[in-house]
Amino acid sequence: MKVSSFKWLFGRNSEFWPTNMKTGMWAWVGHRLTGLVLVAYVFLHLAFISTASIGEGGSSFDALMETTSKPLFVAMDFLLVIVVIYHAMNGFRVVLFDLGVGIRRQKLVFLAAMAVSAVLIVGGLLAIWHLVFPNGGA
Amino acid sequence: MSEQIVATSKVAGTWAWFLQRLSAILLVIFLGIHLYAAHFMGVSAETGDEPLLSYEEVSLRLDQVLYIVVDYGMLSMVLLHGLNGLRTVMLDFDMFVRRRKLVDVGLWVVGIATMIWGIVILWPFITG
Repeated sequence: MKVSSFKWLFGRNSEFWPTNMKTGMWAWVGHRLTGLVLVAYVFLHLAFISTASIGEGGSSFDALMETTSKPLFVAMDFLLVIVVIYHAMNGFRVVLFDLGVGIRRQKLVFLAAMAVSAVLIVGGLLAIWHLVFPNGGA
Repeated sequence: MSEQIVATSKVAGTWAWFLQRLSAILLVIFLGIHLYAAHFMGVSAETGDEPLLSYEEVSLRLDQVLYIVVDYGMLSMVLLHGLNGLRTVMLDFDMFVRRRKLVDVGLWVVGIATMIWGIVILWPFITG
């Protein structure tokens, strides 16, 4: 991909201009973006855990757990939860289409995947709420 | 653009396509186990206490082969899915068209190196 093709790819007349995108394109773009975020996260995750074995008797690991259980980190984890759930649910939709299921009702399938995602995300929020707001949100 | 989409599906490869789906399904299962083990296993049903995972606890768990299989199995699937995903994005955007072999080799090198890194990271827990 050349720099000169950038306008062709992302400009007003491109398929990536928001008003030119339809259901499947949004799903596709979302899948790529969340996928890239997740690859970056995995390497970050490994880098964090790799510091665990430094220090005597696992002191650095325990310190890491102490830090990452703080509300700010749990809140960032929740962003990860959103990204993972979208990627998984949209991935499920992709597999369904690969199997030839639901292609004719592709908009409905995407909406259903997003509805399930929303429910799971709310469930995740309820599960971690007390960790982000230890004082009950006060 | 439609011609490019046809070309992309041709170069992606059937094995890459199949393994991407297989690893996706395995990852959902692994992720469920991983989250349960890391965040819910130690929670006391009686008091509701949520103790932080300790080095000692992880080390104890990794004395069992099942945990080692789950951790390394998950990492291998993550790398397969993530790096092949990157490859797919590059194919989608017609990046490095003339260097596709090189990209494939590069991704394999990154994947294997990261797998070794992951094995090294867990080693103190397994032996400790």
